Amino acid sequence: MTKEAVQGATEEEQQAQSKKAMKKQQKEAEKAAKKAEKQAKLTAEQQTTEEDDFAKDRYGVPAMVQSQQKLDRELVRVQDLTPEKADQLIWLRARVHTSRAKGKQCFLVLRQQQFNVQALVAVGDRASKQMVKFAANITKESIVDVEASVRKVEQKIESCSQQDVELHIERIFVVSQAEARLPLQLEDAVRPDGEGEEEGRATVNQDTKLDNRVIDLRTTTSQAIFRLQSGVCQLFRDTLTNKGFVEIQTPKIISAASEGGANVFTVSYFKTSAYLAQSPQLYKQMCICADFDKVFCVGPVFRAEDSNTHRHLTEFVGLDIEMAFNYHYHEVIDSITDTMVQIFKGLRDNFQTEIQTVNKQFPSEPFKFLEPTLRLEYTEGVAMLREAGVEMGDEDDLSTPNEKLLGRLVKEKYDTDFYVLDKYPLAVRPFYTMPDPNDPKYSNSYDMFMRGEEILSGAQRIHDAQLLTDRATHHQIDLEKIKSYIDSFRFGAPPHGGGGIGLERVCMLYLGLHNVRQTSMFPRDPKRLTP
Amino acid sequence: MPMYQNGEVDPAVKALEARQDEIMRKLYELKAAVEGLAKTVTTPDADLDLTVSSSLSSQVCSSSTFKGTTDLDTLLGKDLGALRDIVINANPAQPPLSLLVLHSLLSQRYRVLSTVHVHSSVTSVPPQLLSCLGPRHADSYARHMFQLGFTLIWKDVPKLQMKFSVQNMCPIEGEANVARFLFKLLAPYPADPAAATLVDSWLDTAFFQLVEGSTKERAAVLRALNSALGRTPWLSGPEFSLADIACYCCVLRTGSAASAPANVQRWIKSCENLGHFGPAKLLLQ
Repeated sequence: MTKEAVQGATEEEQQAQSKKAMKKQQKEAEKAAKKAEKQAKLTAEQQTTEEDDFAKDRYGVPAMVQSQQKLDRELVRVQDLTPEKADQLIWLRARVHTSRAKGKQCFLVLRQQQFNVQALVAVGDRASKQMVKFAANITKESIVDVEASVRKVEQKIESCSQQDVELHIERIFVVSQAEARLPLQLEDAVRPDGEGEEEGRATVNQDTKLDNRVIDLRTTTSQAIFRLQSGVCQLFRDTLTNKGFVEIQTPKIISAASEGGANVFTVSYFKTSAYLAQSPQLYKQMCICADFDKVFCVGPVFRAEDSNTHRHLTEFVGLDIEMAFNYHYHEVIDSITDTMVQIFKGLRDNFQTEIQTVNKQFPSEPFKFLEPTLRLEYTEGVAMLREAGVEMGDEDDLSTPNEKLLGRLVKEKYDTDFYVLDKYPLAVRPFYTMPDPNDPKYSNSYDMFMRGEEILSGAQRIHDAQLLTDRATHHQIDLEKIKSYIDSFRFGAPPHGGGGIGLERVCMLYLGLHNVRQTSMFPRDPKRLTP
Repeated sequence: MPMYQNGEVDPAVKALEARQDEIMRKLYELKAAVEGLAKTVTTPDADLDLTVSSSLSSQVCSSSTFKGTTDLDTLLGKDLGALRDIVINANPAQPPLSLLVLHSLLSQRYRVLSTVHVHSSVTSVPPQLLSCLGPRHADSYARHMFQLGFTLIWKDVPKLQMKFSVQNMCPIEGEANVARFLFKLLAPYPADPAAATLVDSWLDTAFFQLVEGSTKERAAVLRALNSALGRTPWLSGPEFSLADIACYCCVLRTGSAASAPANVQRWIKSCENLGHFGPAKLLLQ
């Protein structure tokens, strides 16, 4: 190549290079210009922000409440926000259920347990643009303190519990901020399963709910369920106390398995081991032999049954009754069924709001019962099942499907969801059950059913030490292990009987729910130990 | 001679008073006996004056009232080892008087286990509705000892309803129809179709026109009753029947007894003399 050619090439190169360089320079210049513009804008904005934020003191995240001062401020409950409070300026503390900005306004729904109310921050002489923006950015579930004036609305706000008023916010402070990403959305947790499928919206499956129980319990449905459960406990206590029963507490760490060895939890007890009580049976009876006449107890029951069903828990709350009677164990049945009827009546008359709330997510038929309670004999139940085509022996126990079928037959004929089946065959009952006086095949024992599922198993207990020993031997039980139990009856024991129900199961069946974990706050089953 | 001497009654006066009391007592007994006979004479078919004897004992057996044999197994199906329980759902606002009467007749014929329940759809009922089937039987703890169950449930139902064998029978609605069913457990319907139709026709008249009808219709029924009772002692002929039970209860329910024409009044007294209508009258008090 000639020098000139090379020179030419270099020149071209140089030209290309300079072109590139020029382009580069241009780009950089543009960038710089843009940056400068942005910067200018920001400073301008900041200036405006600082200039125009006249509401700076009326919102924000204050210091954590560490009891710095004792404010004598009255906080109004959301459920009390009615048209009577119209035009009043009030303070309240609630959770932010939702917040949604719309131009110069931000709509919030503030929630307190089952109640919620619409609130609004609007740009005006009380709130600035920055305040509205702040409100729109508050994360869901955060707890806020709000000062607002209550205003009547012309059109009812259908989506809130407080339908006749809304709040116009003057001040809003975040007392406790929630993390931005929630493990589950409350609206999804409350959505009925069918609706979720139809509209393609999410529902939350049970395991997720149970793993994040603290948030799941905040939903209106959960609040209603556990308030109703509290009512059941309260009615149980009140009814029995009025009947002259005494509440007792029984030990849960015991030395011998009471019901029958297989399903007990073992605990290490210093140098030996002990068991967690499967039921308060032994101790209830000892109290009767100790002249307490009529007792009841409310406490945990532990069953190490590896059953993963919709109605079994490894730990549940047992409501147990035991009473001495005069001449016939039906006195005990009458007492227990009357207590159950009083509970049902109490729930029917005082907890309709809670029942309706649960029904919104889990629709079911209302619970029906008769007063006095229907009592059928076991032979009648077997005859009804045989009439419906079931084949079973006279002394066979009822299988779960047969129990459900019998429940349906009884419902059809008598229109009741609660009944007692009396005089079970002796062969299928525990060793301490008193046999029938006339027919050795049967016993003085009974089961009670709600919506076709068993909720109580009870009987007249054997109060004679000799007969008890004979029956235990017949059941091939090691007499050494139950020596102290038999001893209780050696020094004068009145005829007595009783039974126990599971709180969670009763609530589940009363509300027509399908899984006992829904009525247990922090359920325990073979696969779940937390939360 | 003064009656009181030294503050004491003269023994002669005492003797006189005693004789007077004795005569009065005999007079009252005679009066009661004559009244009893009078009632018996005016009541067709009555063997004895039951209104007197029924106040003495609650277990009056009038097995002669309904003749004709009936067998529960034939009527209700074989006993499968379970109590044959008849379930009646009634609205407490309209107690079924005729069924209560039939219940007491059934109890005299069979061993009946009677229970009354209040359904959860009703908040409360007056106490007389809870005891309308009489006192609880001493053996009621052993259901298998009874031949028949009679379970009355006070429930918020639009129309009276009876359920018996859920597998084989649909529910029976209406007091008239349930009355027909229960009556057939006591005695068969008349074999003669004309007589049977007559009974049915009176039943329908009673429940539809007398109870549910306007004042005009009621008056018409009373006139019809009057003319029928002019010809025969009881509504369907010479014998007391379901027609009489039904009409009497409906007349009682509508309160027309006092203003009824002559034959009807006589018939009402005859019915009462038979002593079956105690439960119905008790309820209306």
